[in-house]
Amino acid sequence: MNHLNFGSILEYLPYLLQGAVVTVQLSVAAMVVASIVGTAIGMGRSYGGRGLNAVLGLAVDCLRSIPQLALMVWVFYALPVLAGAQISPFTAGVISLGIQYAAFMSEVVRAGLGSLASGQQAAAMALGMNRWQVLRRVLVPQAVIRMLPAAGSLLVSLVKDTSLVFGIGVLELMHQAATVNGLVPRPFEIFTVVGAIYLVMTYPITVTINLIYRRRAASIVS
Amino acid sequence: MGYTWDWSVIAENADIFVLGIFTTIVLAVITMALSLPGGLALALFRLRGPAAVRWLTTGYVEFFRLTPFLMQLFWIYFGLPYLLGISLDPFIAAVLTLTLNVSAFNSEIFRSGIVSVGSDQEQAAIALGMSTRQALRRVVLPQAVRRVIPPLGNQWVAMFQSTSLVAFISVGELMYQSLVLRAGTYRSLEILTATALIYLIVSYPQAKVVDHLYARMKTSAI
Repeated sequence: MNHLNFGSILEYLPYLLQGAVVTVQLSVAAMVVASIVGTAIGMGRSYGGRGLNAVLGLAVDCLRSIPQLALMVWVFYALPVLAGAQISPFTAGVISLGIQYAAFMSEVVRAGLGSLASGQQAAAMALGMNRWQVLRRVLVPQAVIRMLPAAGSLLVSLVKDTSLVFGIGVLELMHQAATVNGLVPRPFEIFTVVGAIYLVMTYPITVTINLIYRRRAASIVS
Repeated sequence: MGYTWDWSVIAENADIFVLGIFTTIVLAVITMALSLPGGLALALFRLRGPAAVRWLTTGYVEFFRLTPFLMQLFWIYFGLPYLLGISLDPFIAAVLTLTLNVSAFNSEIFRSGIVSVGSDQEQAAIALGMSTRQALRRVVLPQAVRRVIPPLGNQWVAMFQSTSLVAFISVGELMYQSLVLRAGTYRSLEILTATALIYLIVSYPQAKVVDHLYARMKTSAI
C-alpha cells in the first residue's frame, strides 16, 4: 500500500493546465463545427423534403453507430492516405469530433423544431411574414430554448470525448497526465487531480445550462 | 490518387476481427448485466436513503457522469493498484470501470423514471395498506421500468461505443485488435475502414431498434 502524496505532483500542475487549455480549444473548435453543420443538417431534414431527409438520415445514423475512437483513428490515419495530405492530430480531432457531434446535434435540432406548435408557421405567414422571417422571429427563438438542455449535455459529452485525442497524439489534458505519470509514477494522485480539472470544466456547463433553461422555461409555449 | 487497395489483409485476419467483436459483445453484455441492478440500486439509494447515503451516491454519480471514461479507466487500472498495492487484470479493470460508469448513467435514467411515475400512486398504495416496499415493488417500479426502456436502450448503444476505449489498456476487443493488426501490416486504410464498417454493421441495427422503442413509447398510453 502506497502513501498518497499530492504535493509531489504540485510542481507539474502547470503542465496539466496547459493540457486543459488545449482541451478547451479542441472542445470549442469542435462545438462550433458541430453546431453549424448540425443545425444545417437538422434544418435540412426538417424542411428539405423527403429525399434529403432520407439521405441525411442515413449519414446521421451511420455517424451515431461508430465509436468516437474508431472515427478519430480513421480520420487521422486512413483519411490522409486517401486524400494524399497530412493533417495535424488537432485538426483530425476537430474534424472527427465535429462531424460526429454534428450528427448528434442534428437530432437535437430536429427534435427542437418538431416540438413547436404547428399552427404557428401558418399563423405567422397569414400575418404577412415570408418563410425566412417566420423562422427567424417565431420558430428559432422557441426552438433554441427547448434545445438547450440536450445541447448542453452534448457539450459536456464533447469535452469528455476530447480525452480520446490522446490516442492520436494531441497534447491535451490526458496526454499531459500520462506524460507526468511517466516522470513521477503517482497515478492515483495524478488522475484524481485530472478528474478534478475535468469536473471544473464540465460542472459549470451543466449548472449554467440549467440556470438559463429554468429562467427561460416560462416562455415555452406548448 | 495512386493508392492500391489491398483487401486481402482483411480476409487473412478475419478470425482476429471476429475475436475482437466477440470480446466487445461479451464486455457489453457483462457490463449491462451488472449495471442494470447497479443503476437501480443507486437510484433507490438516492431517492430513499438516509442523507449521508444520498449525498455519497450523488457524488459518485456526478463524478462518473462528468469526467471522461478514459480518465476513469486509467484511474482504476493504474491508480487503484498503486493505491492498494494489488495488481489488476486489464479485463477486470475494464469491466469494473464500465460497470461503475454505466451504473452512474443508469441510475439517472431510473431516477427520472421513478420520479415521473409520481408520488401520488405510491401514497395511494400505502393508504390501501401496502408497506413502502410493496408499494414500490408492485405499483411504482413496474410503471417506471416501462418508461425507462428507451433511454436504457440509448445507454446500451453508447456503452457499446465506449468499449472501444478499453483498447488503451490492452483488452483484446475490436479496436485493440485492429490497431495491433495495423501496426503489424501497415495497411491502415483497409483495416481501419473494415473496423469502422464492423462497428457500423453491429451498431446500426441497435440504434434503429432504440429509435423504434422511442417511437413506440410516444404512441403508447403510458
